[in-house]
Amino acid sequence: MSNTLIDFVNISKSFGNQLILDEFNLSVKENEFLTLLGPSGCGKTTTLRILGGFETPDKGQVIFDGTDITALPPNKRNLNTVFQKYALFTHMSIAENIAFGLKISGKSQAYIDDKIKYALKLVNLDGYENRRPDSLSGGQQQRIAIARAIVNEPKVLLLDEPLGALDLKLRQDMSYELIRLKNELGITFIYVTHDQEEALTMSDTIVVMNQGYIQQMGSPEDIYNEPQNAFVADFIGESNIIPSLMLEDKLVEIQGAKFPCVDTGFGTNKPVDVVIRPEDIDLVKPEDGTIEGVVTHLIFKGVHYEMEVMANGFEWLVHSTDMVAVGERVGIHVDPFDIQIMNKPESEDDEAVGVNE
Amino acid sequence: MKHIGRKIYLALIFILMYAPIATLVVLSFNSSKTRAKWGGFTLKWYSSMLADSSIMNALYTTLIIAFLSALIATVIGTAASVGIHSMQAKLKTFFITVTNIPMLNADIVTGISLMLLFIACRFTLGFATILIAHITFNIPYVIMSVLPKLRQVNHSTYEAALDLGASRTYAFRKVIFPDILPGVLSGFLLAFTMSLDDFIITHFTKGPGVDTLSTKIYSEVRKGIKPEMYALSTLLFVSVLVLMMLANSAPKKDESGRIKRSSFIAKRVVPIVLILVFVGGGFLSHIISNANSSSEQLVVYNWGEYIDPEVIEMFQEETGIQVTYEEYETNEIMYPKVQSGAIAYDVVCPSDYMIERMLQNDLLAEINWDNVPNIKNIDEAYMEQSKSFDPENKYSVPYCFGTVGILYNKTMVDEPITSWDVLWDEKYKDNILMQDSVRDAFAVALKRNGDSINSTDVTELQQATQDLIEQKPLVQAYVVDQVRDKMIGNEAAIGVIYSGEAIYTQRENSDLEYVIPEEGSNVWIDSWVIPKNAKNKENAEEFLNFLCRPEIALMNFDYITYSTPNKAGRELIEDDDIRNSRIAFPTAEDLKDCETFKFLGDEADAYYNELWNKVKAS
Repeated sequence: MSNTLIDFVNISKSFGNQLILDEFNLSVKENEFLTLLGPSGCGKTTTLRILGGFETPDKGQVIFDGTDITALPPNKRNLNTVFQKYALFTHMSIAENIAFGLKISGKSQAYIDDKIKYALKLVNLDGYENRRPDSLSGGQQQRIAIARAIVNEPKVLLLDEPLGALDLKLRQDMSYELIRLKNELGITFIYVTHDQEEALTMSDTIVVMNQGYIQQMGSPEDIYNEPQNAFVADFIGESNIIPSLMLEDKLVEIQGAKFPCVDTGFGTNKPVDVVIRPEDIDLVKPEDGTIEGVVTHLIFKGVHYEMEVMANGFEWLVHSTDMVAVGERVGIHVDPFDIQIMNKPESEDDEAVGVNE
Repeated sequence: MKHIGRKIYLALIFILMYAPIATLVVLSFNSSKTRAKWGGFTLKWYSSMLADSSIMNALYTTLIIAFLSALIATVIGTAASVGIHSMQAKLKTFFITVTNIPMLNADIVTGISLMLLFIACRFTLGFATILIAHITFNIPYVIMSVLPKLRQVNHSTYEAALDLGASRTYAFRKVIFPDILPGVLSGFLLAFTMSLDDFIITHFTKGPGVDTLSTKIYSEVRKGIKPEMYALSTLLFVSVLVLMMLANSAPKKDESGRIKRSSFIAKRVVPIVLILVFVGGGFLSHIISNANSSSEQLVVYNWGEYIDPEVIEMFQEETGIQVTYEEYETNEIMYPKVQSGAIAYDVVCPSDYMIERMLQNDLLAEINWDNVPNIKNIDEAYMEQSKSFDPENKYSVPYCFGTVGILYNKTMVDEPITSWDVLWDEKYKDNILMQDSVRDAFAVALKRNGDSINSTDVTELQQATQDLIEQKPLVQAYVVDQVRDKMIGNEAAIGVIYSGEAIYTQRENSDLEYVIPEEGSNVWIDSWVIPKNAKNKENAEEFLNFLCRPEIALMNFDYITYSTPNKAGRELIEDDDIRNSRIAFPTAEDLKDCETFKFLGDEADAYYNELWNKVKAS
């Protein structure tokens, strides 16, 4: 897991006046499941298309396995793509679809037949050889698209929001399927999505992007638990982002109340943003909490209750398995290690670039 | 009630739309030759149509042009669609608009522009120019049917193919093309139909001897409708209808949205195979019919109905020269075609003043009289008369002539007419017919005053104008061809008419009398000339020599009924009345004060027109 396979070096790309990627740098390791996560327009799909060869960067290089492939056309690259809308060839049978790439590379018919069988088995669609793409469900079509890509034995599989068009249940099933596939094939997956849950479930590494810049890169746990700026915190999961004052190391003033924390090095009396995940807030008796508030909303969510607590003029979002009725007074307690301190961005550009990077 | 109303309305619309065509179809099965009565069901017009080689040739030309132009337009149009499809929005809108123009443009504008372009580029009008023209107007139809298909194509499939290792062309061929194929085939069928259907553009871009069905029908219809044309039109209508229905109906799809193979074959493959069979047959028969055609050629450009078709047959048989025969309606249509040089005619038959104009513009070749010894058969008087436009008798062979005079009904007029003055006589108010043409009308007024019909003297012309304005209240109508019918039908007492028409009217109504007024009149001569750019001058001279044979002159006289200047030919006329008719063959005395029209120059022409408009507007 330590060899670098792909390197994006100082990639810039704009469409018309719109700058999509600006001096973008990223390394992908061999055998990694890397996810590019971000809202639409953040540059994640462009990054993937540059790697696939469908877009040429204005500046910069793409290094693949030690060679510069920036100018190489898509058909000469040792990687395959699974498209969002499946992109199956509707006038061909499933077998013909899967055999498409193999025929071009001049493989023998016996080899091709074997590969088709193997690939269909891999995606759990044995016996579908002679079906037509139109007669398959969305999930099945996506599996065929994957089968069509992997029979060519690429070193990297690019997946462009492959689950976007599927319904929730199918999406979850396919997520597990993809993890299994990746483990069986032992190749690199680069996955593009705007769905944080998909990203958290499947990835080894998540790259959070916004406006053409990488906001944060790390394991799902890192990204979730220690978001480095408000954008990441806000984009990944739900969170309370509260403008606060860092009084000194390990002590922060939130909405007028002093909370002990574990962060150091922000200086003294410095304005910061504090991130607290809703499930990290404990509701206690009013007198036991750091600050006191009143429950204003209550929704049953299945696994937990979602509550809003008004305290010192800020509405706190709280997830808890214990219900507190609307109107009741409660105390709010947060363990020091559940408080995440972030520098305040000083301008909108700062926000995009991510000052903590 | 409401529904019945709707149905009646719908039925009415369909009747209005299809009644004319239904009439045509019914007539094509009518064994009686006249339109008025039903003579029983027959297929004989269809069989005689099939036996007519000129119709069959036109049919094959039509099919070959339709097929080739549709094929080429489909290739170009499909490529263009792919290009347009991948353009940015603004450019795309621009190009779609630009490519649609030939489709939205009036056919006549497209036709004339193409003709001008071909002439400017010194192309010889013929098969190739028709083909280019058809390709031009077919391309938008192909784009129109391919572009929507391209929009439906999922662009990712193309990228997926590249991603799987396909080259661009392979990806297009294997992935995009099968998806747009139904649109490409529809485009081909549409283009084929449009080409089959076109008349106007073909009319302007065709050359002599090349006819498509529509231009063939047009030229035949001008001579009076033959029932074979009903049969041909019916076939044309039915084939266009069938092709349009096939092109417009989308192939059936099954539940999963796939086009049924059987339906695809019926709706797309079958018609194209049919077209291929037709066209293939056409090619073969063309090759066979061309194989026994002679290398010696002659391109004749003549007035409509101005030669006995049998004469051409005889000439071809005797000399082995292949004659390509083309017709025009007026001198003014003929002139620019010869002048442009787009078509190299070998022999043309213009009127006197037009010959003068062609000479002035150096368009004519001197005739080598050694090759036309039969010129001796032409009456000296007419050679003399010709000198007014061909001063040394070097360029023209007189073919037909006639005079302009007064036709009157003896029962409606008190005394024999001798002078143009009678046209100004209050007694015959509303009983007078004048020619509706500027030079003819002014010739009457000028001659009455003793002036030349080619006068350019402002005072004389002003006087003539004044006289014509004065005459106007007495005139029943200004007409051209109707003089004949109105006089036969006793609808008017006096009319200005051409002598050739006069002979015919007398046969129909014996009360009619023709006179060349004593003040003199217009005598016109149509003569054969050889354009300078003729490719087969010697063949042309051989043809002229053939036409000057007495027995051939007689055949043409019988067919055209216009006076022949061929003295030897006249002597062969058996009917004394006709041979000695002073209408057909006026004496030198009759022609004493007669003149031929001269080309007066553009300025004088414009002045005449201005004065004529003054008369008409008064």
